[in-house]
Amino acid sequence: MDLFRRIFGRPGEEDPEKAASKTLEVESIKETESADGLDAKTRPVPPLPLTPDPSPGFIPDGTTRPLSPEKLISRQNDHMAFGQSTDVGMVRPNNQDAVLSMFFTSRSSDERGDFGLFVVADGMGGHQHGEKASAIATRILAAHAMSSIYMPILSGSDSLDRAPITEALSTAVQKANLEVIRHVEEGGTTVTAAAVIGDLAYFAHVGDSRAYLITRDGMEQITRDHSLVQRLIELDQLTKEESTEHPQRNVLYRALGQNESLEVDTLTRRLPPNSRLLLCTDGLWNYVEEREIYEIAMNNPNPQEACDKLVALANTKGGMDNVTAVLLRISSS
Amino acid sequence: MPETTQFGNNNDDVRSEGSLKANTILVNRYKILGMIGGGGQGAVYQARDLNFADIKRLVAIKEMLYPEASLRAQTFKTFQREANILATLSHPAIPKIFDFFDQHNRAYLVMEYINGSDLEALLGKTKELPADKILEWAIDLCDVLQYLHTQPEPIIFRDMKPANIMVDSFGKVRLIDFGIAKVFTSGKHTMIGTEGYSAPEQYKGDANPLSDIYSLGATLHHILTRKDPRLEPPFSFHERPIKDSNSKVPPGLAEVVEKALQMKPADRFASAAEMKAALDALRYRPLAAGATTNGMKAPVGTEALNTGDLFGDKIEPRWKFKTEDEIRCSPMAFRDMAYIGSYDTNVWAVRLNSGEFVWKYPTNGGIASSPVIADISESTRLVLFGSEDHSFHAVDYRTGRINWSYMTKDRVRGTPRVAHDHVFFGSDDGRVYALVAGNGRYLWEYDMGAPVRSRPFVTNEYVIVGSESGEIVALELSGARKWGHRTRRSVTSSPMVDEVENICYVGSFDGHMYALDANNGYSMWRFRTNGPVISSAALEDDLLYFGSADGNLYCVNAETAKEKWRFGTEKPIVASPVVYNGQVYFGGTDGNLYCIDAKNGKELWKFPTGSGITSTPYVVGDTLLIGSMDKTLYALPLVG
Repeated sequence: MDLFRRIFGRPGEEDPEKAASKTLEVESIKETESADGLDAKTRPVPPLPLTPDPSPGFIPDGTTRPLSPEKLISRQNDHMAFGQSTDVGMVRPNNQDAVLSMFFTSRSSDERGDFGLFVVADGMGGHQHGEKASAIATRILAAHAMSSIYMPILSGSDSLDRAPITEALSTAVQKANLEVIRHVEEGGTTVTAAAVIGDLAYFAHVGDSRAYLITRDGMEQITRDHSLVQRLIELDQLTKEESTEHPQRNVLYRALGQNESLEVDTLTRRLPPNSRLLLCTDGLWNYVEEREIYEIAMNNPNPQEACDKLVALANTKGGMDNVTAVLLRISSS
Repeated sequence: MPETTQFGNNNDDVRSEGSLKANTILVNRYKILGMIGGGGQGAVYQARDLNFADIKRLVAIKEMLYPEASLRAQTFKTFQREANILATLSHPAIPKIFDFFDQHNRAYLVMEYINGSDLEALLGKTKELPADKILEWAIDLCDVLQYLHTQPEPIIFRDMKPANIMVDSFGKVRLIDFGIAKVFTSGKHTMIGTEGYSAPEQYKGDANPLSDIYSLGATLHHILTRKDPRLEPPFSFHERPIKDSNSKVPPGLAEVVEKALQMKPADRFASAAEMKAALDALRYRPLAAGATTNGMKAPVGTEALNTGDLFGDKIEPRWKFKTEDEIRCSPMAFRDMAYIGSYDTNVWAVRLNSGEFVWKYPTNGGIASSPVIADISESTRLVLFGSEDHSFHAVDYRTGRINWSYMTKDRVRGTPRVAHDHVFFGSDDGRVYALVAGNGRYLWEYDMGAPVRSRPFVTNEYVIVGSESGEIVALELSGARKWGHRTRRSVTSSPMVDEVENICYVGSFDGHMYALDANNGYSMWRFRTNGPVISSAALEDDLLYFGSADGNLYCVNAETAKEKWRFGTEKPIVASPVVYNGQVYFGGTDGNLYCIDAKNGKELWKFPTGSGITSTPYVVGDTLLIGSMDKTLYALPLVG
């Protein structure tokens, strides 16, 4: 029936079912309001108390009160919420990680999807070279991704010369690479970037910072480390257990800042409802177990709290490295 | 086996400059002239031996730093032992060792000075090196490895790479840097760059004669392909066949190098001598590509081709049905019948099990549109197709009697799609039509502005179709435009939507296969081929299969857009493949119907028809139907 109606219905005609569900939503909100006793028409608003009552249970009628963070987030944005956290750790003198997050959301008849860009980078090299490299990489990548991916979406330009999104993201990493080479002589950096458009995530990745997709079914690493040990594991020359003790476990074979020609891995993923997307540096995945990451990511409704907890946990385990985490929560609808 | 000494130099004061200035005199004998190499791993100087006052005798002096003072005595002893062993070696490719000593908390090794350039520098200076020269060097390097490996106490070189091979002024290779100053670096901090040339087992601490063979293979691979393995994923040589980067390399030489590079030591040459013999066999033969048949093993591809021919010979069609003109469209089967359109203007219905003629339906134009079935009710089962007579026809599947027809303003070459009890098709008049499948009642049309020959894909939400202007549009089921995406040239390929992921794959004459987000038309990725992509994609287990007019059938990872394999034919591929039971079936304009292993792209068999194939195979039970421009519809048994 639904299909029949869609074929015959005029374009733009309101779907009666949708309309019905909207009415329901309104009603349910009203219900909650009246349950809270906030019906201003029938009752006069009592004056504000002179001193705020410290007891958490007591909330006088008619006063504004802060919503829980969970409610705040769900009201601001019915699709996605994110948190980010980075820390120098307990051992290193400086934080060579860099992180960048941005999220655009709009509601209009235009139906432009929400857009998010999330980048983590782990710099390498002494004398501030590492932190410079990661800082430049995140910044340049974001600048290019904005102009080549999001700006055209906003302006609605339908240019023939527009590259596919994974290509644009890959080009953004290439540009970042050239800038790192230009400005940082003896440094390099990893980069893992996710552009989220609607519920589709586009990834570009170089090095061993990771992206994980976390759902109720488990935790899946969706980037592949460009490290020597990972290669050895893939080729059945080393077990995962052996790799954690390997003397060359930190050797990367691909990073920004090394060579003008850089191969960038790209991939795309549809983000299922109620899933989490985690981007992190090796300071997290090297020291915090996947099981623990899963628990924190899934069981904290507020992604910022989850990120803070992940970073804190890495630090309680010695904080041997800089640690960075970005977590996106995809809503259940 | 003696371990070569490892002088760690993780001292904080490591400088890239050598510590000795010109004119410094070491042990009252060697006058430093300048630094000629090295750096982090220990400097190498050119020096003059003052014992020969009347002639200018040049030597090379390698300087090494002690790891720490407390270990100095012990390290010097090991160094001394090593130097002694090296001094006893005598081989034209090994520089002579003259002397060693220590001074000012540093160890020095005095060697023959080689006037020349190392291979790494040579690679930087040249565009191409002659294959016969590389072959000669490879043979000499095998010889020196064999010499080292068969010493009373076998010596493992450990560090074969272009930078450690000098080409002297006579064009001969000389091995330098016997790992005597190999740096040991600890894994505390993240580092970038791998050795690139080392065998996998060396990363488990196992260096043996076979790992030297691997490194020699890696070195030769680098020289032949000019792809620096330090910039590629480690151990990725087998993923980067030599012929792909350099078609001039004789297959025989490529084969020897690739054998040396096997991951499992047991799969490599058993010794350097064995590898040398394999190279020697290539020596006196013409080295041009393709001229290597004499006594040489045929390359793998040809072997597969041969077995393919064997299989192909065995394949006898169950039946053939000859029409009166070229078959350009694809066959279809329903129940016990098979249907095919021909350029002879007819749609033919034959028995599926025998190929026996049942009926034909004549139109007033050639049939390029493939017939599809509309199974509407017990009483209404229709075969639907377009014709170049401008009309779209619906005939009864049993009798071939006309049920309804619909006239457009130009030829109908596009294949229809039946979905939600409606039929959707494009016409050369530039419109996409939606009609009720059971009675042909007009629902809507959408003007694409250019002929529509691509087959619409219909999901639960959208109708997605391409046009000859290069545009791909998604229409709501009501006919309203939802989104559009432009490619540079015609889209004749039919969109294919992965309805789980909601991703649309479609090819274009601009040479690309595109992946679009079916929700909004945003282009996710494009995969470049070297010819128009007219073929439509088949998707199976996250892998996308499609042909290109460049003659290749491609298998591409749908998530990463990375090529998994390609299968080359001699002529363009315009037909679409089907994947069935782990096998890919497709026809080429070279006239062959191919059966390819979906895992690795190896040919399993092929069946030659009398002319080019533009038709997509149709698999029903254990029978494959395929039409050919030789006017014939074939029913082939599926073997295996």
